[in-house]
Amino acid sequence: MTSPRPAADWHVTEALALRYAEGAASETDAWSLEKHVESCSLCAGRVSAAVRAGAAGPALASLRAELLASVGHRPAPVPAVAASPLGRWARLWWAAGPALRGSWVVAVALVLGGAFALAYGAGFQGARSWLLALSPVLPLGGVAVSYGRHADPLYEITAATPSGGLRLLLTRAAAVLTVCVPLLTAGGALLPPVAGFPGAAAWLLPGLALTLATLALGSFVGCRAAAATVAGGWLLAVTGPLLGPSATGPTGTTEGSAAAIARYFSGPTAQGSWAVAALACAALLVLRRRSFDHLETR
Amino acid sequence: MNQPATVAVTGLTVRHRRTVALDALDLSLSPGVHGLLGPNGAGKTSLIRVLATVAAPSSGRVELLGGDVAGHRERTAIRRRLGYLPQEFGYYPGFTVREFVAYVAWLKEVPADRAAAAVERAVARVGLADRIDDRIKTLSGGMVRRAGIAQAIVNEPELLLLDEPTAGLDPEQRVDFRELLRELGTEATVVVSTHLVEDVAAACTDVALIEGGRLAFRGPTAELAALGGESAAPGDSTTNAIERGYTAALRTHRESAGAGAVRTKEALR
Repeated sequence: MTSPRPAADWHVTEALALRYAEGAASETDAWSLEKHVESCSLCAGRVSAAVRAGAAGPALASLRAELLASVGHRPAPVPAVAASPLGRWARLWWAAGPALRGSWVVAVALVLGGAFALAYGAGFQGARSWLLALSPVLPLGGVAVSYGRHADPLYEITAATPSGGLRLLLTRAAAVLTVCVPLLTAGGALLPPVAGFPGAAAWLLPGLALTLATLALGSFVGCRAAAATVAGGWLLAVTGPLLGPSATGPTGTTEGSAAAIARYFSGPTAQGSWAVAALACAALLVLRRRSFDHLETR
Repeated sequence: MNQPATVAVTGLTVRHRRTVALDALDLSLSPGVHGLLGPNGAGKTSLIRVLATVAAPSSGRVELLGGDVAGHRERTAIRRRLGYLPQEFGYYPGFTVREFVAYVAWLKEVPADRAAAAVERAVARVGLADRIDDRIKTLSGGMVRRAGIAQAIVNEPELLLLDEPTAGLDPEQRVDFRELLRELGTEATVVVSTHLVEDVAAACTDVALIEGGRLAFRGPTAELAALGGESAAPGDSTTNAIERGYTAALRTHRESAGAGAVRTKEALR
Protein backbone atom coordinates (compact mmCIF):
# COMPACT_ATOMS: atom_id res chain seq x y z
CA MET A 1 0.00 0.00 0.00
CA THR A 2 1.24 3.43 -0.89
CA SER A 3 0.53 6.40 1.28
CA PRO A 4 -2.22 8.77 0.04
CA ARG A 5 -0.80 11.18 -2.48
CA PRO A 6 -1.05 14.94 -1.87
CA ALA A 7 -4.01 16.16 -3.94
CA ALA A 8 -2.44 19.48 -4.86
CA ASP A 9 0.44 18.58 -7.19
CA TRP A 10 -0.51 15.03 -8.25
CA HIS A 11 -2.04 14.51 -11.69
CA VAL A 12 -3.02 11.52 -13.76
CA THR A 13 -0.25 10.54 -16.19
CA GLU A 14 -1.00 9.29 -19.70
CA ALA A 15 0.36 5.87 -18.76
CA LEU A 16 -1.95 5.58 -15.77
CA ALA A 17 -4.96 6.79 -17.80
CA LEU A 18 -4.21 4.07 -20.34
CA ARG A 19 -3.85 1.37 -17.69
CA TYR A 20 -7.08 2.53 -16.09
CA ALA A 21 -8.90 2.39 -19.43
CA GLU A 22 -7.69 -1.16 -19.95
CA GLY A 23 -8.73 -2.13 -16.45
CA ALA A 24 -5.11 -2.91 -15.64
CA ALA A 25 -4.49 -0.21 -13.02
CA SER A 26 -4.00 -1.45 -9.46
CA GLU A 27 -6.84 -0.92 -7.04
CA THR A 28 -5.10 1.87 -5.11
CA ASP A 29 -4.12 3.69 -8.31
CA ALA A 30 -7.65 3.41 -9.66
CA TRP A 31 -9.04 4.72 -6.38
CA SER A 32 -6.65 7.71 -6.38
CA LEU A 33 -7.51 8.45 -9.99
CA GLU A 34 -11.25 8.31 -9.44
CA LYS A 35 -11.01 10.60 -6.42
CA HIS A 36 -8.77 13.02 -8.31
CA VAL A 37 -10.87 13.41 -11.49
CA GLU A 38 -13.80 14.62 -9.37
CA SER A 39 -11.95 17.85 -8.83
CA CYS A 40 -9.54 18.13 -11.80
CA SER A 41 -11.21 18.64 -15.20
CA LEU A 42 -7.89 18.40 -17.06
CA CYS A 43 -7.27 14.87 -15.78
CA ALA A 44 -10.93 13.93 -16.24
CA GLY A 45 -10.61 14.84 -19.92
CA ARG A 46 -7.42 12.81 -20.22
CA VAL A 47 -9.00 9.72 -18.63
CA SER A 48 -12.19 9.85 -20.65
CA ALA A 49 -10.18 10.22 -23.86
CA ALA A 50 -8.22 7.10 -22.93
CA VAL A 51 -11.42 5.17 -22.14
CA ARG A 52 -13.07 6.22 -25.41
CA ALA A 53 -10.03 5.02 -27.35
CA GLY A 54 -9.99 1.72 -25.47
CA ALA A 55 -12.01 -1.45 -25.74
CA ALA A 56 -15.07 0.08 -24.08
CA GLY A 57 -15.15 2.90 -26.68
CA PRO A 58 -17.71 1.44 -29.10
CA ALA A 59 -20.04 0.50 -26.23
CA LEU A 60 -19.81 4.01 -24.78
CA ALA A 61 -20.39 5.58 -28.18
CA SER A 62 -23.54 3.55 -28.79
CA LEU A 63 -24.77 4.26 -25.26
CA ARG A 64 -24.21 7.97 -25.90
CA ALA A 65 -26.08 7.80 -29.20
CA GLU A 66 -28.98 6.00 -27.54
CA LEU A 67 -29.12 8.51 -24.74
CA LEU A 68 -29.07 11.41 -27.19
CA ALA A 69 -31.76 9.77 -29.31
CA SER A 70 -33.97 9.21 -26.26
CA VAL A 71 -33.83 12.93 -25.37
CA GLY A 72 -34.73 13.87 -28.95
CA HIS A 73 -31.29 14.55 -30.39
CA ARG A 74 -30.91 13.44 -33.99
CA PRO A 75 -27.58 11.80 -34.70
CA ALA A 76 -25.49 12.94 -37.64
CA PRO A 77 -26.13 10.82 -40.74
CA VAL A 78 -23.90 7.76 -40.93
CA PRO A 79 -21.23 8.22 -43.60
CA ALA A 80 -21.56 6.24 -46.81
CA VAL A 81 -18.73 3.89 -45.81
CA ALA A 82 -21.12 1.96 -43.61
CA ALA A 83 -23.66 1.52 -46.41
CA SER A 84 -24.84 -2.05 -46.79
CA PRO A 85 -22.79 -3.97 -49.32
CA LEU A 86 -25.67 -6.40 -49.57
CA GLY A 87 -27.81 -4.23 -51.77
CA ARG A 88 -29.84 -6.02 -54.35
CA TRP A 89 -27.48 -5.19 -57.21
CA ALA A 90 -24.43 -6.19 -55.25
CA ARG A 91 -26.00 -9.54 -54.42
CA LEU A 92 -26.90 -10.08 -58.04
CA TRP A 93 -23.37 -9.26 -59.07
CA TRP A 94 -21.91 -11.76 -56.61
CA ALA A 95 -24.31 -14.40 -57.72
CA ALA A 96 -23.46 -13.83 -61.35
CA GLY A 97 -19.88 -12.63 -61.15
CA PRO A 98 -18.12 -15.94 -60.64
CA ALA A 99 -20.09 -17.41 -63.54
CA LEU A 100 -18.55 -15.00 -65.99
CA ARG A 101 -15.08 -16.41 -65.94
CA GLY A 102 -12.52 -14.35 -67.79
CA SER A 103 -11.49 -17.06 -70.22
CA TRP A 104 -15.04 -17.67 -71.33
CA VAL A 105 -15.88 -13.98 -71.79
CA VAL A 106 -12.73 -13.69 -73.88
CA ALA A 107 -13.85 -16.69 -75.98
CA VAL A 108 -17.23 -15.10 -76.65
CA ALA A 109 -15.57 -11.81 -77.56
CA LEU A 110 -13.17 -13.64 -79.89
CA VAL A 111 -15.99 -15.41 -81.72
CA LEU A 112 -17.88 -12.13 -82.15
CA GLY A 113 -14.76 -10.23 -83.13
CA GLY A 114 -13.79 -13.00 -85.53
CA ALA A 115 -17.18 -12.90 -87.22
CA PHE A 116 -16.92 -9.14 -87.68
CA ALA A 117 -13.37 -9.39 -88.97
CA LEU A 118 -14.42 -12.05 -91.48
CA ALA A 119 -17.43 -10.11 -92.65
CA TYR A 120 -15.95 -6.62 -92.91
CA GLY A 121 -12.23 -7.29 -93.06
CA ALA A 122 -12.12 -10.26 -95.42
CA GLY A 123 -15.46 -9.63 -97.08
CA PHE A 124 -16.64 -13.14 -96.23
CA GLN A 125 -20.35 -13.37 -96.99
CA GLY A 126 -21.16 -16.32 -94.77
CA ALA A 127 -19.97 -14.73 -91.47
CA ARG A 128 -23.49 -14.31 -90.18
CA SER A 129 -24.44 -17.94 -90.74
CA TRP A 130 -21.26 -19.11 -89.04
CA LEU A 131 -21.92 -16.90 -86.03
CA LEU A 132 -25.45 -18.25 -85.91
CA ALA A 133 -24.13 -21.80 -86.03
CA LEU A 134 -21.68 -21.19 -83.20
CA SER A 135 -23.97 -19.11 -80.99
CA PRO A 136 -25.93 -22.00 -79.41
CA VAL A 137 -22.77 -23.65 -78.05
CA LEU A 138 -21.25 -20.53 -76.50
CA PRO A 139 -23.51 -20.57 -73.41
CA LEU A 140 -22.58 -24.23 -72.86
CA GLY A 141 -18.95 -23.26 -72.46
CA GLY A 142 -19.95 -20.62 -69.94
CA VAL A 143 -21.90 -23.15 -67.90
CA ALA A 144 -19.09 -25.69 -68.07
CA VAL A 145 -16.42 -23.30 -66.78
CA SER A 146 -18.52 -21.85 -63.96
CA TYR A 147 -19.97 -24.77 -62.02
CA GLY A 148 -18.82 -28.04 -60.60
CA ARG A 149 -15.85 -29.68 -58.95
CA HIS A 150 -13.48 -29.10 -61.86
CA ALA A 151 -14.38 -25.52 -62.64
CA ASP A 152 -15.40 -23.70 -59.47
CA PRO A 153 -12.56 -22.82 -57.07
CA LEU A 154 -15.14 -22.48 -54.31
CA TYR A 155 -16.59 -25.93 -55.00
CA GLU A 156 -15.53 -27.56 -51.74
CA ILE A 157 -17.23 -24.77 -49.76
CA THR A 158 -20.35 -24.51 -51.94
CA ALA A 159 -20.86 -28.28 -51.76
CA ALA A 160 -21.56 -27.97 -48.03
CA THR A 161 -24.12 -25.17 -48.41
CA PRO A 162 -27.89 -25.45 -48.91
CA SER A 163 -27.81 -23.29 -52.07
CA GLY A 164 -24.78 -24.90 -53.67
CA GLY A 165 -26.88 -27.20 -55.84
CA LEU A 166 -29.41 -26.39 -58.53
CA ARG A 167 -30.01 -22.85 -57.23
CA LEU A 168 -26.39 -21.87 -57.76
CA LEU A 169 -26.20 -23.68 -61.11
CA LEU A 170 -29.33 -21.95 -62.43
CA THR A 171 -28.11 -18.56 -61.19
CA ARG A 172 -24.87 -19.00 -63.06
CA ALA A 173 -26.52 -20.39 -66.20
CA ALA A 174 -28.86 -17.38 -66.15
CA ALA A 175 -25.89 -15.03 -65.82
CA VAL A 176 -24.21 -16.71 -68.77
CA LEU A 177 -27.36 -16.36 -70.90
CA THR A 178 -27.80 -12.73 -69.82
CA VAL A 179 -24.42 -11.96 -71.32
CA CYS A 180 -24.80 -14.18 -74.40
CA VAL A 181 -28.29 -13.29 -75.56
CA PRO A 182 -27.93 -9.55 -76.17
CA LEU A 183 -24.30 -9.77 -77.29
CA LEU A 184 -24.71 -12.53 -79.86
CA THR A 185 -28.11 -11.41 -81.11
CA ALA A 186 -26.95 -7.82 -81.62
CA GLY A 187 -23.73 -9.08 -83.17
CA GLY A 188 -25.67 -11.25 -85.61
CA ALA A 189 -27.97 -8.40 -86.53
CA LEU A 190 -25.05 -6.10 -87.31
CA LEU A 191 -23.43 -8.56 -89.72
CA PRO A 192 -24.36 -8.40 -93.41
CA PRO A 193 -27.44 -10.57 -94.03
CA VAL A 194 -27.12 -13.81 -95.96
CA ALA A 195 -29.76 -14.42 -98.61
CA GLY A 196 -32.45 -16.88 -97.57
CA PHE A 197 -31.11 -17.05 -94.05
CA PRO A 198 -33.10 -16.63 -90.82
CA GLY A 199 -32.80 -13.52 -88.64
CA ALA A 200 -30.30 -12.91 -85.89
CA ALA A 201 -32.71 -14.06 -83.18
CA ALA A 202 -33.09 -17.53 -84.69
CA TRP A 203 -30.42 -19.00 -82.41
CA LEU A 204 -32.29 -18.16 -79.19
CA LEU A 205 -34.50 -21.25 -78.98
CA PRO A 206 -31.76 -23.67 -80.07
CA GLY A 207 -29.40 -21.98 -77.61
CA LEU A 208 -31.89 -22.32 -74.77
CA ALA A 209 -32.63 -25.93 -75.66
CA LEU A 210 -28.96 -26.88 -75.79
CA THR A 211 -28.26 -25.09 -72.48
CA LEU A 212 -31.14 -26.92 -70.79
CA ALA A 213 -29.99 -30.18 -72.37
CA THR A 214 -26.55 -29.57 -70.87
CA LEU A 215 -28.03 -28.97 -67.43
CA ALA A 216 -30.27 -32.03 -67.67
CA LEU A 217 -27.46 -34.26 -68.91
CA GLY A 218 -25.19 -32.65 -66.34
CA SER A 219 -27.42 -33.99 -63.58
CA PHE A 220 -26.18 -37.43 -64.59
CA VAL A 221 -22.59 -36.95 -65.71
CA GLY A 222 -21.56 -33.51 -64.41
CA CYS A 223 -21.69 -30.21 -66.24
CA ARG A 224 -18.29 -30.36 -67.86
CA ALA A 225 -18.87 -33.72 -69.56
CA ALA A 226 -22.43 -32.73 -70.46
CA ALA A 227 -21.33 -29.46 -72.07
CA ALA A 228 -18.62 -31.24 -74.04
CA THR A 229 -21.09 -33.89 -75.25
CA VAL A 230 -23.84 -31.49 -76.25
CA ALA A 231 -21.48 -28.98 -77.85
CA GLY A 232 -19.66 -31.77 -79.70
CA GLY A 233 -22.95 -33.19 -80.93
CA TRP A 234 -24.15 -29.81 -82.14
CA LEU A 235 -20.92 -28.99 -83.94
CA LEU A 236 -20.99 -32.40 -85.63
CA ALA A 237 -24.57 -31.84 -86.70
CA VAL A 238 -23.71 -28.43 -88.13
CA THR A 239 -20.45 -29.31 -89.83
CA GLY A 240 -21.24 -32.92 -90.72
CA PRO A 241 -23.32 -32.17 -93.84
CA LEU A 242 -20.63 -29.76 -95.04
CA LEU A 243 -17.99 -32.45 -95.12
CA GLY A 244 -20.02 -34.75 -97.33
CA PRO A 245 -19.83 -34.05 -101.09
CA SER A 246 -23.62 -33.92 -101.49
CA ALA A 247 -23.95 -30.90 -99.22
CA THR A 248 -21.87 -28.64 -101.41
CA GLY A 249 -24.44 -26.73 -103.38
CA PRO A 250 -24.09 -26.12 -107.07
CA THR A 251 -23.28 -22.47 -106.54
CA GLY A 252 -20.35 -22.98 -104.18
CA THR A 253 -19.41 -24.06 -100.68
CA THR A 254 -20.42 -20.90 -98.87
CA GLU A 255 -24.02 -20.93 -99.94
CA GLY A 256 -24.23 -24.68 -99.61
CA SER A 257 -23.03 -24.55 -96.02
CA ALA A 258 -25.34 -21.64 -95.26
CA ALA A 259 -28.27 -23.68 -96.53
CA ALA A 260 -27.19 -26.66 -94.44
CA ILE A 261 -26.99 -24.52 -91.31
CA ALA A 262 -30.24 -22.74 -92.13
CA ARG A 263 -32.12 -26.04 -91.97
CA TYR A 264 -31.60 -26.13 -88.23
CA PHE A 265 -33.00 -22.65 -87.70
CA SER A 266 -35.53 -21.61 -90.30
CA GLY A 267 -39.17 -22.38 -90.42
CA PRO A 268 -41.78 -22.98 -87.76
CA THR A 269 -41.03 -26.73 -87.76
CA ALA A 270 -37.40 -26.28 -86.75
CA GLN A 271 -38.15 -23.59 -84.17
CA GLY A 272 -41.13 -25.57 -82.86
CA SER A 273 -38.95 -28.63 -82.42
CA TRP A 274 -36.40 -26.58 -80.47
CA ALA A 275 -39.16 -25.26 -78.23
CA VAL A 276 -40.40 -28.79 -77.54
CA ALA A 277 -36.85 -29.97 -76.88
CA ALA A 278 -36.28 -27.07 -74.47
CA LEU A 279 -39.48 -27.93 -72.60
CA ALA A 280 -38.57 -31.61 -72.44
CA CYS A 281 -35.11 -30.82 -71.07
CA ALA A 282 -36.58 -28.39 -68.55
CA ALA A 283 -39.00 -31.09 -67.39
CA LEU A 284 -36.16 -33.59 -67.04
CA LEU A 285 -34.18 -31.01 -65.09
CA VAL A 286 -37.10 -30.50 -62.71
CA LEU A 287 -37.27 -34.26 -62.14
CA ARG A 288 -33.52 -34.39 -61.55
CA ARG A 289 -33.36 -31.20 -59.45
CA ARG A 290 -32.08 -32.95 -56.36
CA SER A 291 -29.14 -34.56 -58.05
CA PHE A 292 -27.08 -31.36 -57.86
CA ASP A 293 -26.95 -31.20 -54.09
CA HIS A 294 -26.21 -34.86 -53.72
CA LEU A 295 -23.28 -36.26 -51.80
CA GLU A 296 -20.20 -36.82 -53.83
CA THR A 297 -19.41 -40.48 -54.41
CA ARG A 298 -16.18 -41.78 -55.78
CA MET B 1 -22.04 -37.51 -21.91
CA ASN B 2 -25.09 -35.79 -20.52
CA GLN B 3 -25.76 -33.51 -23.50
CA PRO B 4 -27.56 -34.92 -26.55
CA ALA B 5 -25.22 -35.93 -29.36
CA THR B 6 -25.10 -33.47 -32.28
CA VAL B 7 -23.02 -35.89 -34.34
CA ALA B 8 -23.90 -39.58 -34.35
CA VAL B 9 -21.97 -41.77 -36.74
CA THR B 10 -22.44 -45.53 -36.81
CA GLY B 11 -20.58 -48.05 -38.94
CA LEU B 12 -19.22 -45.34 -41.21
CA THR B 13 -17.15 -46.75 -44.05
CA VAL B 14 -15.61 -44.64 -46.79
CA ARG B 15 -13.78 -46.19 -49.71
CA HIS B 16 -11.73 -44.36 -52.29
CA ARG B 17 -11.63 -46.76 -55.19
CA ARG B 18 -9.81 -49.74 -53.68
CA THR B 19 -8.48 -48.21 -50.48
CA VAL B 20 -10.52 -47.99 -47.32
CA ALA B 21 -10.31 -44.51 -45.79
CA LEU B 22 -12.71 -45.15 -42.90
CA ASP B 23 -13.52 -48.61 -41.64
CA ALA B 24 -16.81 -49.07 -39.75
CA LEU B 25 -16.24 -46.02 -37.57
CA ASP B 26 -18.57 -45.25 -34.68
CA LEU B 27 -18.41 -41.78 -33.17
CA SER B 28 -20.73 -39.53 -31.25
CA LEU B 29 -20.02 -35.90 -30.41
CA SER B 30 -21.82 -33.27 -28.36
CA PRO B 31 -21.22 -29.48 -28.06
CA GLY B 32 -17.61 -28.62 -27.23
CA VAL B 33 -14.29 -28.54 -29.05
CA HIS B 34 -13.21 -31.94 -30.29
CA GLY B 35 -9.73 -32.53 -31.60
CA LEU B 36 -9.35 -34.98 -34.45
CA LEU B 37 -5.82 -36.33 -34.36
CA GLY B 38 -4.06 -38.95 -36.40
CA PRO B 39 -1.12 -39.60 -38.67
CA ASN B 40 -1.24 -38.42 -42.28
CA GLY B 41 -3.60 -40.55 -44.33
CA ALA B 42 -5.44 -41.83 -41.25
CA GLY B 43 -8.81 -40.72 -42.61
CA LYS B 44 -9.23 -37.34 -40.87
CA THR B 45 -10.13 -35.44 -44.03
CA SER B 46 -12.40 -38.25 -45.22
CA LEU B 47 -14.31 -38.07 -41.94
CA ILE B 48 -14.56 -34.26 -42.04
CA ARG B 49 -15.84 -34.32 -45.64
CA VAL B 50 -18.54 -36.83 -44.73
CA LEU B 51 -19.54 -34.74 -41.70
CA ALA B 52 -19.61 -31.63 -43.94
CA THR B 53 -22.17 -33.41 -46.19
CA VAL B 54 -19.75 -33.10 -49.10
CA ALA B 55 -18.80 -36.76 -49.54
CA ALA B 56 -21.15 -39.70 -49.33
CA PRO B 57 -20.34 -42.61 -47.03
CA SER B 58 -19.88 -45.95 -48.76
CA SER B 59 -21.91 -47.45 -45.94
CA GLY B 60 -23.04 -46.54 -42.45
CA ARG B 61 -25.35 -44.01 -40.93
CA VAL B 62 -24.55 -40.33 -40.35
CA GLU B 63 -26.85 -38.21 -38.21
CA LEU B 64 -26.01 -34.54 -37.78
CA LEU B 65 -27.95 -32.08 -35.60
CA GLY B 66 -30.74 -34.62 -35.32
CA GLY B 67 -31.17 -35.21 -39.07
CA ASP B 68 -30.02 -38.00 -41.36
CA VAL B 69 -27.74 -36.75 -44.15
CA ALA B 70 -29.18 -39.31 -46.56
CA GLY B 71 -32.50 -37.42 -46.73
CA HIS B 72 -32.62 -34.48 -49.12
CA ARG B 73 -34.77 -32.19 -47.01
CA GLU B 74 -32.91 -32.98 -43.80
CA ARG B 75 -29.57 -32.49 -45.51
CA THR B 76 -30.58 -29.00 -46.68
CA ALA B 77 -31.66 -28.14 -43.14
CA ILE B 78 -28.35 -29.44 -41.78
CA ARG B 79 -26.36 -27.43 -44.32
CA ARG B 80 -27.92 -24.17 -43.13
CA ARG B 81 -26.56 -24.86 -39.64
CA LEU B 82 -23.17 -26.10 -40.74
CA GLY B 83 -19.78 -24.41 -41.05
CA TYR B 84 -16.97 -26.01 -43.00
CA LEU B 85 -13.38 -24.97 -43.59
CA PRO B 86 -11.82 -27.32 -46.14
CA GLN B 87 -8.15 -28.18 -45.89
CA GLU B 88 -7.64 -26.47 -49.21
CA PHE B 89 -10.08 -24.00 -50.66
CA GLY B 90 -10.14 -21.63 -53.57
CA TYR B 91 -11.66 -18.18 -53.89
CA TYR B 92 -12.58 -15.84 -56.67
CA PRO B 93 -9.55 -13.64 -57.26
CA GLY B 94 -11.52 -10.43 -57.67
CA PHE B 95 -13.35 -10.79 -54.36
CA THR B 96 -12.59 -8.81 -51.23
CA VAL B 97 -12.76 -10.51 -47.84
CA ARG B 98 -16.18 -8.95 -47.29
CA GLU B 99 -17.50 -10.15 -50.65
CA PHE B 100 -16.10 -13.64 -50.14
CA VAL B 101 -17.68 -14.06 -46.72
CA ALA B 102 -20.92 -12.42 -47.89
CA TYR B 103 -21.06 -14.77 -50.86
CA VAL B 104 -20.88 -17.77 -48.55
CA ALA B 105 -23.51 -16.16 -46.31
CA TRP B 106 -25.74 -15.94 -49.38
CA LEU B 107 -25.09 -19.59 -50.22
CA LYS B 108 -25.90 -20.55 -46.63
CA GLU B 109 -29.18 -18.64 -46.86
CA VAL B 110 -28.40 -16.20 -44.06
CA PRO B 111 -31.39 -13.78 -44.13
CA ALA B 112 -30.51 -10.69 -46.18
CA ASP B 113 -31.31 -8.24 -43.39
CA ARG B 114 -28.86 -9.93 -41.04
CA ALA B 115 -26.16 -10.82 -43.55
CA ALA B 116 -24.18 -7.54 -43.58
CA ALA B 117 -23.80 -7.53 -39.79
CA ALA B 118 -23.06 -11.27 -39.71
CA VAL B 119 -20.26 -10.80 -42.26
CA GLU B 120 -18.65 -7.97 -40.29
CA ARG B 121 -18.91 -9.91 -37.06
CA ALA B 122 -17.39 -13.06 -38.54
CA VAL B 123 -14.50 -11.12 -40.09
CA ALA B 124 -13.89 -9.23 -36.82
CA ARG B 125 -13.85 -12.49 -34.86
CA VAL B 126 -10.94 -13.81 -36.91
CA GLY B 127 -9.09 -10.49 -36.54
CA LEU B 128 -9.34 -9.34 -40.16
CA ALA B 129 -11.58 -6.32 -39.56
CA ASP B 130 -8.89 -3.92 -40.79
CA ARG B 131 -8.49 -5.86 -44.06
CA ILE B 132 -12.19 -6.49 -44.74
CA ASP B 133 -12.23 -4.47 -47.97
CA ASP B 134 -8.92 -5.77 -49.29
CA ARG B 135 -8.85 -8.29 -52.10
CA ILE B 136 -8.15 -11.81 -50.91
CA LYS B 137 -5.35 -12.26 -53.41
CA THR B 138 -3.39 -9.48 -51.70
CA LEU B 139 -3.50 -11.27 -48.32
CA SER B 140 -0.86 -13.57 -46.85
CA GLY B 141 -1.47 -17.31 -46.48
CA GLY B 142 -2.39 -17.00 -42.81
CA MET B 143 -4.88 -14.23 -43.54
CA VAL B 144 -6.50 -16.24 -46.34
CA ARG B 145 -6.96 -19.08 -43.87
CA ARG B 146 -8.54 -16.68 -41.39
CA ALA B 147 -10.88 -15.47 -44.13
CA GLY B 148 -11.70 -19.15 -44.62
CA ILE B 149 -12.51 -19.47 -40.93
CA ALA B 150 -14.70 -16.35 -41.19
CA GLN B 151 -16.78 -17.88 -43.99
CA ALA B 152 -17.19 -21.03 -41.91
CA ILE B 153 -18.60 -19.16 -38.91
CA VAL B 154 -20.65 -16.52 -40.74
CA ASN B 155 -23.94 -18.36 -40.19
CA GLU B 156 -23.13 -19.03 -36.51
CA PRO B 157 -23.11 -22.77 -37.15
CA GLU B 158 -24.16 -25.36 -34.62
CA LEU B 159 -21.74 -27.81 -36.17
CA LEU B 160 -18.38 -26.40 -37.21
CA LEU B 161 -15.87 -28.55 -39.09
CA LEU B 162 -12.35 -27.21 -39.47
CA ASP B 163 -9.79 -29.17 -41.44
CA GLU B 164 -6.26 -28.07 -40.47
CA PRO B 165 -7.35 -24.55 -39.51
CA THR B 166 -4.03 -23.57 -37.95
CA ALA B 167 -1.90 -24.41 -41.00
CA GLY B 168 -0.14 -21.22 -42.06
CA LEU B 169 -1.00 -19.24 -38.93
CA ASP B 170 1.87 -17.74 -36.99
CA PRO B 171 2.18 -18.51 -33.25
CA GLU B 172 0.38 -15.35 -32.12
CA GLN B 173 -2.53 -15.91 -34.51
CA ARG B 174 -2.71 -19.50 -33.33
CA VAL B 175 -3.13 -18.35 -29.73
CA ASP B 176 -5.94 -15.99 -30.78
CA PHE B 177 -7.52 -18.72 -32.85
CA ARG B 178 -7.55 -21.20 -29.96
CA GLU B 179 -9.25 -18.54 -27.85
CA LEU B 180 -11.90 -18.21 -30.58
CA LEU B 181 -12.26 -22.01 -30.69
CA ARG B 182 -12.94 -22.20 -26.96
CA GLU B 183 -15.51 -19.43 -27.30
CA LEU B 184 -17.25 -21.19 -30.23
CA GLY B 185 -17.18 -24.49 -28.37
CA THR B 186 -19.39 -23.22 -25.56
CA GLU B 187 -22.40 -23.31 -27.89
CA ALA B 188 -21.51 -25.32 -30.97
CA THR B 189 -20.00 -28.69 -31.72
CA VAL B 190 -16.58 -27.89 -33.13
CA VAL B 191 -14.48 -30.58 -34.80
CA VAL B 192 -10.87 -29.56 -35.44
CA SER B 193 -8.71 -31.83 -37.53
CA THR B 194 -5.08 -31.13 -36.80
CA HIS B 195 -1.67 -32.67 -36.61
CA LEU B 196 -0.50 -30.11 -34.07
CA VAL B 197 -0.72 -31.61 -30.61
CA GLU B 198 -0.44 -28.17 -28.98
CA ASP B 199 -3.71 -27.11 -30.67
CA VAL B 200 -5.38 -29.99 -28.92
CA ALA B 201 -3.72 -29.27 -25.59
CA ALA B 202 -4.77 -25.61 -25.69
CA ALA B 203 -8.26 -25.69 -27.10
CA CYS B 204 -9.83 -29.15 -27.17
CA THR B 205 -11.84 -30.65 -24.34
CA ASP B 206 -11.88 -33.99 -25.97
CA VAL B 207 -9.87 -36.00 -28.50
CA ALA B 208 -10.63 -38.59 -31.15
CA LEU B 209 -7.51 -40.30 -32.45
CA ILE B 210 -7.86 -42.01 -35.81
CA GLU B 211 -5.44 -44.47 -37.30
CA GLY B 212 -5.94 -46.55 -40.43
CA GLY B 213 -9.60 -45.53 -40.68
CA ARG B 214 -10.43 -46.69 -37.17
CA LEU B 215 -10.79 -45.03 -33.82
CA ALA B 216 -7.65 -45.58 -31.76
CA PHE B 217 -8.62 -43.42 -28.82
CA ARG B 218 -11.62 -41.41 -27.75
CA GLY B 219 -11.86 -39.44 -24.55
CA PRO B 220 -11.04 -36.23 -22.70
CA THR B 221 -7.71 -34.59 -23.54
CA ALA B 222 -6.50 -35.17 -19.98
CA GLU B 223 -7.07 -38.89 -20.39
CA LEU B 224 -4.89 -39.03 -23.49
CA ALA B 225 -2.19 -37.13 -21.59
CA ALA B 226 -2.50 -39.65 -18.73
CA LEU B 227 -1.97 -42.55 -21.18
CA GLY B 228 1.55 -41.24 -21.76
CA GLY B 229 2.46 -41.99 -18.16
CA GLU B 230 4.63 -39.96 -15.83
CA SER B 231 7.68 -38.27 -17.21
CA ALA B 232 10.97 -38.27 -15.36
CA ALA B 233 12.06 -35.08 -17.12
CA PRO B 234 11.60 -31.90 -15.09
CA GLY B 235 9.44 -29.11 -16.46
CA ASP B 236 7.42 -31.51 -18.58
CA SER B 237 4.52 -29.75 -20.32
CA THR B 238 1.00 -30.90 -21.10
CA THR B 239 1.90 -30.89 -24.77
CA ASN B 240 4.67 -33.40 -24.17
CA ALA B 241 2.35 -35.57 -22.09
CA ILE B 242 -0.24 -35.56 -24.87
CA GLU B 243 2.43 -36.38 -27.42
CA ARG B 244 3.47 -39.39 -25.35
CA GLY B 245 -0.19 -40.36 -24.87
CA TYR B 246 -0.73 -40.05 -28.62
CA THR B 247 2.19 -42.37 -29.34
CA ALA B 248 1.12 -44.84 -26.64
CA ALA B 249 -2.48 -44.94 -27.90
CA LEU B 250 -1.30 -45.48 -31.47
CA ARG B 251 1.02 -48.29 -30.40
CA THR B 252 -1.73 -50.03 -28.42
CA HIS B 253 -4.12 -49.63 -31.31
CA ARG B 254 -1.70 -51.08 -33.84
CA GLU B 255 -1.04 -54.08 -31.62
CA SER B 256 -4.73 -54.77 -31.04
CA ALA B 257 -5.58 -54.10 -34.69
CA GLY B 258 -2.99 -56.71 -35.57
CA ALA B 259 -4.86 -59.19 -33.39
CA GLY B 260 -8.07 -58.27 -35.19
CA ALA B 261 -9.73 -56.59 -32.23
CA VAL B 262 -10.68 -52.94 -32.22
CA ARG B 263 -10.56 -51.58 -28.73
CA THR B 264 -11.80 -48.07 -28.45
CA LYS B 265 -12.51 -46.04 -25.40
CA GLU B 266 -16.16 -46.01 -26.38
CA ALA B 267 -16.34 -49.74 -26.70
CA LEU B 268 -15.00 -50.03 -23.18
CA ARG B 269 -17.66 -47.77 -21.72
